[in-house]
Amino acid sequence: MGHDLATRAELVKLARALGTDPDEIAFVAELPHTAIRLVRERAVATLYDEHRPAFQRVAMITRLLPTGVNVRIALRAFTPLLAARVAGEMPPDRAAELANRMPVEYLAEACVHLDPRRAAPLVHRVAPDRVLAVVMELVDRGDFITLGRLLDTATEPIVRDVAATVPTEALLRIGFYAESDEQLTRAVALLPPQRLRNIVRDALTGPPELRSAGLALVGRLTDDELRGRLAELAAEADDDTLTALLHTAIDDGALAEVLVAVSAMGERAQRRVLTLPALTEPHTLGHLVRAVEKHNLWPRIAPVVSLMDDDLRRRIAGATDRRTDLR
Amino acid sequence: MRGDVREVLTHWLGADVRAVEGLPDEALAELCDALVAARKRQAAEIRAASDEAFRQLPPVLRGTVSRILGR
Repeated sequence: MGHDLATRAELVKLARALGTDPDEIAFVAELPHTAIRLVRERAVATLYDEHRPAFQRVAMITRLLPTGVNVRIALRAFTPLLAARVAGEMPPDRAAELANRMPVEYLAEACVHLDPRRAAPLVHRVAPDRVLAVVMELVDRGDFITLGRLLDTATEPIVRDVAATVPTEALLRIGFYAESDEQLTRAVALLPPQRLRNIVRDALTGPPELRSAGLALVGRLTDDELRGRLAELAAEADDDTLTALLHTAIDDGALAEVLVAVSAMGERAQRRVLTLPALTEPHTLGHLVRAVEKHNLWPRIAPVVSLMDDDLRRRIAGATDRRTDLR
Repeated sequence: MRGDVREVLTHWLGADVRAVEGLPDEALAELCDALVAARKRQAAEIRAASDEAFRQLPPVLRGTVSRILGR
C-alpha cells in the first residue's frame, strides 16, 4: 500500500467506521496518521450522536421491565446493532446485567457496534469469563479491529487472561489495531516470557502482515526496556529471517522501528545484528541512513555505530556523504 | 476549501476541520462524500433493524412503543 504502518492501521479503522473499504478512502493517507485518527474519532462521535435520542428513549423503557424480560425482548426483536446502541444509553450496571445473560455470539456481534466512548464502564461490569468468551469469539471471526478497540477498555485481569489464552498470532494482529500505545505496552508487559517469545517467533516466521504487525508493535511500545527484550529475542533468529524482517521494514517504511529496537538491545544482541550480510548492501544502507536522518535518530544510534567494524562504518559514512551531496 | 465542503466537514469535525486542511480540494470533496455516505448507510441500517424489531413486537404494543419513540 506504500503507507507507513500507523497510517495503514488508521486507514483500515476509518474505513470500518465509515462502512467502506480502505481503498475507497486512500486519499486521506496524505494526512498524518494522527489527523486520520482525529477524523475517525469525530466521525464516530457524529454518527453515534445522531440517533441517540431514540436509543435513549428505548433505554428508558428497559428500566420499567425486569432483566429477564429485557433479555427476551432484545434477543427476539433487536439485532446486535440495536442492542449495542441501546446498551450505550443504559446505566452500565444494568446493561452488564443483560449482557451476562446473552449468548456469546450475540454479544460479539454487539461489540462491533458499541459506542467506543461508552464501552469501558460496561465491559468492566460484565463477568470476566464472558468477556474472555467474547474475545475468543471475535478472534475466531478474525475481527481484530474490534478487538484492538476493546483492548483500551480491558482491565488488567482481563488483559492477563487474554494474554494467556489467545493465540500469539492473534495478539499480534490485535496489537496492530490497538488504540493506545500505553495500554498496548501494559498488555505486552503482562505476557509470560514464553508467550513473548512466541509473539516474536510469529512475527518473524509468519506471513508479511505479521512481520508488519511485529514491527508496528515494537515501534509503539512506550517502555524501552520491554522493546529491548523483544528485540533481543528477535536477534536470536538466523540471517535469512532477520533479512526478511529488514526487507519488510523497508517496504513498510518501518526502518525507524527497527533502528529504535536495535538501539534498545543489549550490546551482545547489537553485535549480532551488525553481522547481518544484508547490511553491506548499498541499497539497504541507503534506506537505513535516510531513516536515521528523517527521524533524527543519530544520537540514539551512535552507540550502535561505535560497535561497527571499520568496513561497515566506512560504508555508512559513504552512504551519509552521498545523502549530503544530494541535499 | 470550497464553502459547501467546509460546511459539511465542519458539521462532522468541528474545530478539528483544521486537521484536514492540508488535503487537496478533490480529496476534501471525496472525504465529504464518504462521510455523507456513512451517515446514509447508518440511517438505513438502523431503520431496517428498527422495522424488524417492530415486526417482532406483539401488535397490541406497537402503537404505544411508536408513540414513545416518536416514529
